[in-house]
Amino acid sequence: MAVPAMFNLRRSSDELPGDPSREDEECNSEDWVSDSCSCSSASSDSDDLKPEWLDSVQKNGELFYLELSEDEEESLLPETPTVNHVRFSENEIIIEEDDYKEGKKYEPKLKRFTKILKSKRLLPKRYNKKNSNDTGPVSILKHQSNQKTGVIVQQRYKDVNVYINPKKLTVTKAKEQLKLLEVLVGIIHQTKWSWRRTGKQGGGERIVVHGLLPGGSAMKTGQIIIGDVLVAVNDVDVTTENIERVLSCIPGPMQVKLTFENAYAMKKEVTQQKQKKAQLNTSDLVKLLWEDEVEDIQQNILNTPHIIMYLTLQLDSETSKEEQEILYHYPMSEASQKLKSVRGIFLTLCDMLENVTGTQVTSSSLLLNGKQIHVAYWKESDKLLLIGLPAKEVPLPQLRNMIEDVAQTLKFMYGSLDSAFCQVENVPRLDHFFNLFFQRALQPTKLHSNASHSAQQYDASSAILLDSFPGVRWLHLPQEIKMELDTALSSLEAADFAELSEDYFDMRRLYTILGSSLFYKGYLICSHLPKDDLIAIAIYCRHYCLLPLAAKQRIGQLVIWREVFPQHHLQQSEDSNTKIFQEPEGRYFLLIVGLRHYMLCVILEAGGCASKAIGNPGPDYIYVDQVKATLHQLEEVDSRIDERLACAPRPCLSSADWFLTGSRDKPESLTTSPILSRLQGTSKVATFPTCRRSLFDYSLKTHKPSPSRSIGGSDNGCEGGEGVGLSPNTTPDAIRKQRESQCSDGSEESGALLKVCKKKSTLPNPFHLGNLKKDLSEKELEIYNTMKLTSGPENTLFHYVALETLQGIFITPTHEEVAQLSGSVHPQLIRNFHQCCLSIRAVFQQTLLEENKKVLNGADRSDSINSVSSLNPVKEHGVLFECSPENWTDQKKVPPVMAYWVVGRLFLHPKPQELYVCFHDSVTEIAIELAFKLFFGLTL
Amino acid sequence: MGEDGAGGTMHLLCLAASSGVPLFCRSSRGGIPTRQQLPFSVIGSLNGVHMFGQNLEVQLNSARTEDTTVVLLVGLEELTNIRNIERLKKELRASYRLIDSFLGDSELIGDLTECVDCVVPPEGSLLQEALSGFAEATSTAFVSLVVSGRVMVATEGWWRLGMPEAVLLPWLLGSLPPQTARDYPVYLPHGSPTVPHRLLTLTLLPGLELCLLCGPRPPLSHLDPQLLERWWQPLLESLRACVPLGPRALPAGFPLHADILGLLLLHLELRRCLLTVEPSGDREPSREQRRRLLRSFYTLVTSTHFPPEPGSQEDKAQQVHMPRACYLVLGPEEPDVGWRLVALQVGPRRLLLLLSPQSPTHGLRSLATQTLHALTPLL
Repeated sequence: MAVPAMFNLRRSSDELPGDPSREDEECNSEDWVSDSCSCSSASSDSDDLKPEWLDSVQKNGELFYLELSEDEEESLLPETPTVNHVRFSENEIIIEEDDYKEGKKYEPKLKRFTKILKSKRLLPKRYNKKNSNDTGPVSILKHQSNQKTGVIVQQRYKDVNVYINPKKLTVTKAKEQLKLLEVLVGIIHQTKWSWRRTGKQGGGERIVVHGLLPGGSAMKTGQIIIGDVLVAVNDVDVTTENIERVLSCIPGPMQVKLTFENAYAMKKEVTQQKQKKAQLNTSDLVKLLWEDEVEDIQQNILNTPHIIMYLTLQLDSETSKEEQEILYHYPMSEASQKLKSVRGIFLTLCDMLENVTGTQVTSSSLLLNGKQIHVAYWKESDKLLLIGLPAKEVPLPQLRNMIEDVAQTLKFMYGSLDSAFCQVENVPRLDHFFNLFFQRALQPTKLHSNASHSAQQYDASSAILLDSFPGVRWLHLPQEIKMELDTALSSLEAADFAELSEDYFDMRRLYTILGSSLFYKGYLICSHLPKDDLIAIAIYCRHYCLLPLAAKQRIGQLVIWREVFPQHHLQQSEDSNTKIFQEPEGRYFLLIVGLRHYMLCVILEAGGCASKAIGNPGPDYIYVDQVKATLHQLEEVDSRIDERLACAPRPCLSSADWFLTGSRDKPESLTTSPILSRLQGTSKVATFPTCRRSLFDYSLKTHKPSPSRSIGGSDNGCEGGEGVGLSPNTTPDAIRKQRESQCSDGSEESGALLKVCKKKSTLPNPFHLGNLKKDLSEKELEIYNTMKLTSGPENTLFHYVALETLQGIFITPTHEEVAQLSGSVHPQLIRNFHQCCLSIRAVFQQTLLEENKKVLNGADRSDSINSVSSLNPVKEHGVLFECSPENWTDQKKVPPVMAYWVVGRLFLHPKPQELYVCFHDSVTEIAIELAFKLFFGLTL
Repeated sequence: MGEDGAGGTMHLLCLAASSGVPLFCRSSRGGIPTRQQLPFSVIGSLNGVHMFGQNLEVQLNSARTEDTTVVLLVGLEELTNIRNIERLKKELRASYRLIDSFLGDSELIGDLTECVDCVVPPEGSLLQEALSGFAEATSTAFVSLVVSGRVMVATEGWWRLGMPEAVLLPWLLGSLPPQTARDYPVYLPHGSPTVPHRLLTLTLLPGLELCLLCGPRPPLSHLDPQLLERWWQPLLESLRACVPLGPRALPAGFPLHADILGLLLLHLELRRCLLTVEPSGDREPSREQRRRLLRSFYTLVTSTHFPPEPGSQEDKAQQVHMPRACYLVLGPEEPDVGWRLVALQVGPRRLLLLLSPQSPTHGLRSLATQTLHALTPLL
């Protein structure tokens, strides 16, 4: 019974009296229904016939509805401590419970309440996320763009619990107004400020947060944002008039609930549904942040200079207004302000260099407060998009990929950059978009808050490379599963169900389904979309972190609907030949439905065969239901896919640590790692890592260069290293003895391993995408695998990434596989691999650029000087690294050294393909060539 | 200072940062100096950008366009207290030849590597002995023998010269018109930026010069023919053998693998380098192209993979994974087509090789390791 009471209480706090501005908005808000107003959706929720998401549809037809599954929400709620409840009734204070805890822990409790409420259908579904909303790393200074929009928005309230200790108050008699607010709570409010939203009202001004005192309680919560309006303290309404009085009533140290009108929400306007997405991310984020110091991280990102600006190069000289060339910029933090103020440099450079050199500026680097910042340029017609990020966090090649991605995504979402940036109602959406964007760029680990630590690390370190790939992570499935999926998608695409049939309703169908693609846990498992559409969707999902979301959480329900502008459909072919297919002048809509770990993306076309779309149509529930039904149909497949994910038929990977487990932590790792035990079996190989090093350094004379860098040769060089100056400590006798003593154990295990590998050998190859040429490759594989068993060198593959641009997919080891290869060095190796691949890819991209130019200019015009002097075209690039374990404490012994290659190869024909592999130095060139060839031959 | 180039044109522009007055502007197209100048508006804009940024405490370093054109804004090394700009401009004319040689296609690589271009003479110890004796006789610590801009042998003192001047002095000699003897005032940017020293040069054989860096003493007249004859006459044959050594850098008959088309060896602690593109000179690509390939590869390797200064302890602590070698295969997809480039770092030495397409990819490193090992005694 207490629960509804609480709810009412909460509601009443929402509906504060004496707040004319808010009432105002309520009257004016046309999109009232679309907002998450508690009253309207509460009633609709009880109606089971309507889909839950219906109320979330925005005025412009867009929908972003996300709901976690029940068990996920449960897991998000930690045990809540008892909380001190203080109610102020005018001047008297009632403390309901004695012990108080830190305010942040309070949050989940509210959440739990709402959950109970929800289960009793007392609360709109969306409510339960409200609390965790806005607690995320929102820019403190977000409010400014709000002023620009001037759109009436729905207000929201948040409760923040702040620990207040009046004893902190020293003798200073608070003469000044609002002094207590500053000293006790840490909120700075300046009455003189003319705040847009500050309306005079009876009994004083609204208390707008103008600043946060460093180290103050308010800042420590990390939930109060500049621009918030403090409306109540422990449910007592406050204004500038009575705040001091109310605060002075606090008798001793305690937890106080502050209710704020949310600055962030105020301007969220109709993008609210989108925010829901952010909430989820941030709720993860918040969990993470709470474990650390909140303000630290928030401060970190704010102190990092980063900026996005959209500038116009056409200046209207007549209406000379301050900053009129800025069409959009984000964020407002102080560190970014400086970058904004030097925009003149970028404008000048863009203009001048284009005049001088005849080519467009792509980037510039500058020093700001001793920090190097890269600024990438993206010029379109007379507008300039700029993104600036610190060089330390984002290397230049990555930044250039990022700006291209941003431009592509915005074009996909809005049609053109102009329509994205120049429409005032888009501003809050863009704010959200770029908030996510900078979060991803500057704190990748925070967003990839995966269940397991290793997967999180893997995500974060691979993001640098994979996030800019023109492709989607692909999981190859066995034929029978694939067929099932294909059938399911095809029947959806056929749109042959009764409700959609034209005869049934005697009207034209609304949309034609152009194609669909199915994701499972972030892996693309089936796609019937053209490559360009697929990539556009992938970039969109990447920006909204949808793929990692589906990977780590069971989605209760996700429905996204929006109009999209797939460039490849919209570009009318110049050729007016009637024989070739002409794209209809239609409009395109993207529908993404997520269920558990599945996500099904569908592109719909209106116009053409289907009826023309009028206005901003929202999602049609028949289509949504059909997509959902398709996903339900695939319910039982997921266990098989999971199985596949767990033991993907890929090349066995090794952990770098297995090669470095010198004398330390040996027994455990040895018994657990099949590779090393195998290495034990052939004692020659066991000593091998150190051998290579010595060989590399000294063994020139004994080791004749032979076309095959065979293991045997190197071992001989090592063991019979007469007079080569082999330093004795590279192969410490102790280690060798230990190894030899374990050989006997190893032999047993190698027997077991033999079986394992045998089993593996029957599975298709990693690089085996389609089942084409199966028989041939199987044969090769047999050889390959038997080679593995005997000499063991090819299981020294550490990591790989294969990009196939024809289908827009890339293949890389699954999270599960990487998680199995735990260790201290291996994660570093993976990070280093991706960083190195980024630079290798930058070289390749230069080649691709030149190739494109050559195609454009015609093959005959060969610029002989340029083609030879610059490093073009590059087809293969490899780097050899050496590493040794960290924190090597044993002073007497030289730490073992392991050498590995990171090699990238670029195939230009028939379509650009890129393959990056990371393997131990001992791999024979035959194995490498075979790997490359298999990939090349089989992905066709 | 600004530098940019497009369509093969390169401009070097020097502005007085305080006033924005252009001090000089040198341009070259395809390695040949041209009269084409940057338009004044561009010069003005460049200066404006620099000033604007400086006022806001932002320093612009570079900008890139699609053709990887680079604009570098480097703060002007203090040509301190410019009293009379016009006079300064006139004085700067003396260095035009040197500046142009940087813009042009030089045979040397010291500008890029910041290492002294060297050659290895066949009878090094003999020459070294003679040089030391000569230095003693003239009581100068800084003496060297320079073959077409490359140092062949030098005294301890000469090798100890600071970095900019150690590269610049031989480079200057290469850029000056041939003369039998010179007495040339030079400021040493590192060692003596304010007090000029004298650079004395004596041409022993065409292309082979004896250099002395000294104070007021000895006067040029002291280096009379007798002195020279005493020290160098006995070695005349050896010296003759050294004259064609310039571009080859390595003594004739030094065993190099047949696949090697170009070689750049750097010793990063001694700051010396050897560059040659002579081996198998009759094969493609041309020497000029080989040099360019090696230069590009050096830039790539240094900027992306290898740290510019090896051995700094902090870097090592941070970076557990140290790059040791890398290679690049150029050219179209057909196998065994396209040149290979390989770089190898061992201790303070870094070796870059340009190899012919016949060389198998997997053998690149062993070939490089072998070559480096063979070269180790030389540098």
